[in-house]
Amino acid sequence: MNSINRRVRWAGLGACLLVLVVFAQLNYIQVFHASALENNPLNMRHIIQQYSKPRGAIISADGVTLAESVPSNDQYKYQRVYPKGALFGQITGYYSLTYGTDGLERQYNSVLSEATTKVSFPGSLHQLEKLLTTEPSLDDLHITVLSSLQSLARQQLAGRDGAVVALEPKTGAVLAMYSNPSYNPNPLASHNPAVEQAAWHKLQDNPGRPLAAAAYRQRFFPGSTFKVVTASAVYDHKPALAKKDFPVSTGLVLPDTAGQVLHNYAGEACGGQILELFTVSCDSGFGQIGLELGGKNLAEEAKAFGWDRPIPLDLPGVAESYFPPPSSFYRNAGALAKSAIGQESVQAVPLTLALDAAAIADKGVIMTPHLLSTVTGSQGQVVEKYKPKPWLRATSPATAAKLTTLMLSVVNSPNGTGVAAQIPGVEVAGKTGTAQTGGPNIETWFVAFAPAQDPKIAVCVLVENQPPATEYQGGTIAAPIAKAVIESYLQRTAP
Amino acid sequence: MSVSAPSAPVALRPAAASPARSERRLAPRRAELGMLVLVYVLVTGLYVVAGLGASGKVPKDAPVFALATAILLASGHIALRRLAPYASAVFLPLAALLNGIGYVFISHLDSAEGSNQALWTVVGLACLIVTLALFPRAIDFERYRYLIALAGIALLLLPLVPHIGEDINGARLWVRAGPFSLQPEEFAKIALAIFFASVLAERADLLAAGTRRIGRWLVLEPRYLAPLAAAWGLSLLILLAENNLGASFLFFMLLVSMLWIATGRLAYLGLGAGLFAGAAVFALDVVHHAQTRVQAWLHPWAHFATSGYQIIEGWFGLAGGGMWGLGPGQGNARVIPEASTDFMFASIGEQIGLVGLSALLAIYLLLMGSGLRAAVRSERSFGKLLATGLSLLLVVQVFVVSGGITRVIPVTGIVLPFVSYGGSSLVSNYALLAILIRISNDNASLPHPGDDDGRVSRASSSQQSGRPLAVAREEAGTTGSLPL
Repeated sequence: MNSINRRVRWAGLGACLLVLVVFAQLNYIQVFHASALENNPLNMRHIIQQYSKPRGAIISADGVTLAESVPSNDQYKYQRVYPKGALFGQITGYYSLTYGTDGLERQYNSVLSEATTKVSFPGSLHQLEKLLTTEPSLDDLHITVLSSLQSLARQQLAGRDGAVVALEPKTGAVLAMYSNPSYNPNPLASHNPAVEQAAWHKLQDNPGRPLAAAAYRQRFFPGSTFKVVTASAVYDHKPALAKKDFPVSTGLVLPDTAGQVLHNYAGEACGGQILELFTVSCDSGFGQIGLELGGKNLAEEAKAFGWDRPIPLDLPGVAESYFPPPSSFYRNAGALAKSAIGQESVQAVPLTLALDAAAIADKGVIMTPHLLSTVTGSQGQVVEKYKPKPWLRATSPATAAKLTTLMLSVVNSPNGTGVAAQIPGVEVAGKTGTAQTGGPNIETWFVAFAPAQDPKIAVCVLVENQPPATEYQGGTIAAPIAKAVIESYLQRTAP
Repeated sequence: MSVSAPSAPVALRPAAASPARSERRLAPRRAELGMLVLVYVLVTGLYVVAGLGASGKVPKDAPVFALATAILLASGHIALRRLAPYASAVFLPLAALLNGIGYVFISHLDSAEGSNQALWTVVGLACLIVTLALFPRAIDFERYRYLIALAGIALLLLPLVPHIGEDINGARLWVRAGPFSLQPEEFAKIALAIFFASVLAERADLLAAGTRRIGRWLVLEPRYLAPLAAAWGLSLLILLAENNLGASFLFFMLLVSMLWIATGRLAYLGLGAGLFAGAAVFALDVVHHAQTRVQAWLHPWAHFATSGYQIIEGWFGLAGGGMWGLGPGQGNARVIPEASTDFMFASIGEQIGLVGLSALLAIYLLLMGSGLRAAVRSERSFGKLLATGLSLLLVVQVFVVSGGITRVIPVTGIVLPFVSYGGSSLVSNYALLAILIRISNDNASLPHPGDDDGRVSRASSSQQSGRPLAVAREEAGTTGSLPL
């Protein structure tokens, strides 16, 4: 019997040894080898964990939910949804397992993924409950864009490629920023890799590059809208030119070329002082102004208006507008004349032109463009509030006043190119643009702000790929869109 | 054979319990009550914390859970007070703790499985009580050994019967009857342990001494081994037919270790190791299922997309848990295939870390230790062998599961006793617990001549009390008794 007991004990010891082997191996897996396993590329746990957390909502200025996390029944627990789809796709961006993040989802990732609530010693049962959980109380991101204005912009573009950017000149708040083609972020945020990949490849194959929003990630030839900058340069650098009479002509013979002529649009003849030149968008006159201003003055003015520098909009991947360096005009005065009217290699991001219109509207100051309005906590309390700050002083208040006069003339004069933007009872200041692209079709522009006395909104409209015609399409195609956006916004803010 | 043995010790029990005796009767139960209260606090606390971890809220059904747990623990305790008052105090609290921990994690992995498991817990506890009530003495298990062995083999055969047997994951271990499916092997294990213990208790001396000379070698007398070999061979055949390799290893381990403990002949261990090696080679050659498992064990990274996936995800889960774990209710255990059954160990490990898993292993070792303690204290070899066999069965299961997940051995479809999801496993383990409790109860309640309150000092138990009892059994006509 004693010997049986002895063997029972030996058997118990043996079983303990077996468990000890498992314990040793557990130490290896859970402690010594753990970080290697955690960093193994096959290990999806971090990603799953990150994507399993709910994120704060993104909400428009008029209270429309643009992005939110809803409970899902799969392993990720929450599904990110974008109720407005493509309307806000280029602003919200996406939150994708495979393709990462973009737009506001990337820019404000830390705000959306973690609550700013401070952890304090738990004083109540409720706080203790919070301490024991990983469920964060979420902060919501409120943005300045109005869903209604964004919808109107899309409706006005009516499926044509192009962009509409609307800003509040006094604060830099983005009121609308829509471009075609846009994209729906919902399939990119799908937890089904096949759906994600199909959507991604479709976007990659789209020649309109929906993921590169035309409004702030692409550059276009600005055409005559650049005359806003050229005219400002006149007042800021050579005011004498503003009093000069330029001869009426149908074209400008370009120096440093073998007699190349810069023709006016549709072969029209124009001339006179800067007001007349600006009103009818006289290329020959402004070409001459460019030659007399010189490359250095023009480039300096462009830089002051936010060209050739990163735009501090709170979104990732914002493009820079381009004006060539003065050195490139050496023995190349023809290029200088063309650059002064927004041709040659001058390239503009629609956002920049909206900011330039806002600069004239805001007495020469460009406010930092921004989408962030407020961050609110789980109880709706404001955690963070955006404070408007100036970005650049583009020009003097005096020059801004002069430019306002010029831009009002474009809309109000019977022979102005922007008469289509007239709104009864509202003084609209604007400038048209029509740019050749090298291909058969043209790009049409309109930049504007209103009301001229107390500007509340500055707009830039671009409609791409329009068939050429004898009129200034900037006036006939883009101006009505700007008018609709301005009208709608002013009605909304009217007391 | 004569089966009058139980009546003899019963007749020796004093007619009226003395005050000292009722005091002794109450002491383990009082200790048990204290431990159950502790278990209750731990399990309900864990339930709330896991709910907070998973959803950020105190679970709405927390009061229901607390009440149900209290009722279950109380009924278990009251049943033991009546049916096994002398049994060791630790069995029920340890099993309840494991069961409670398992339930909390299962219910957060899958709420439907959680409610099933709750139902099975009730059935399991009922099984514990019924087993204790049906078998008032450990010797009663011995009396029905052939019936039990037959029942065990019938249970093993059941999955092979057309229409009721079911293939799940390449192994045919299930029996389906309406909405319920049953894994009969879980119950068969216990039946065979009882059979082995009774046969070995009867023939240990013969098995130890019986040899035959073949040439220069002294070999074991095959005649004495016949019933064992038959039982084992039959069960092995069935298991191979069912592709159930994990269970056949368990059965084999059970037989060999009990044989060695009964006889003390190391030759059985050697023979067992040899047979096992042979069976393993044979299985690897013949059973495709086994080949896949071994490949996944040796080269999981090469088979990440297929057979290695489960192991690697289990490892990622364990590594994510690290030293302290992510916290109950947190993590992504659902990623692991079979997270609530075969890989429960990994899914818990992610949440409670190395520290928690070590504690869990320690609970199993404590439970085994209590079982072995009952074995050592048992006056009869049947009780010794059965308690040892069942205790080892419990911990070897834990080893096979956790060793499979940690890649110490290949993965087999065995689940963690009391913790993993599964009705058959839970209910059969409660039956196993009932037997251990019964043996433990017998040890303390069996009165000893010359010791009127039954208390036996350590010195006297080995020198005096053993012998007269054997004599008493001899007189009562029990055949094949051992020199105790």
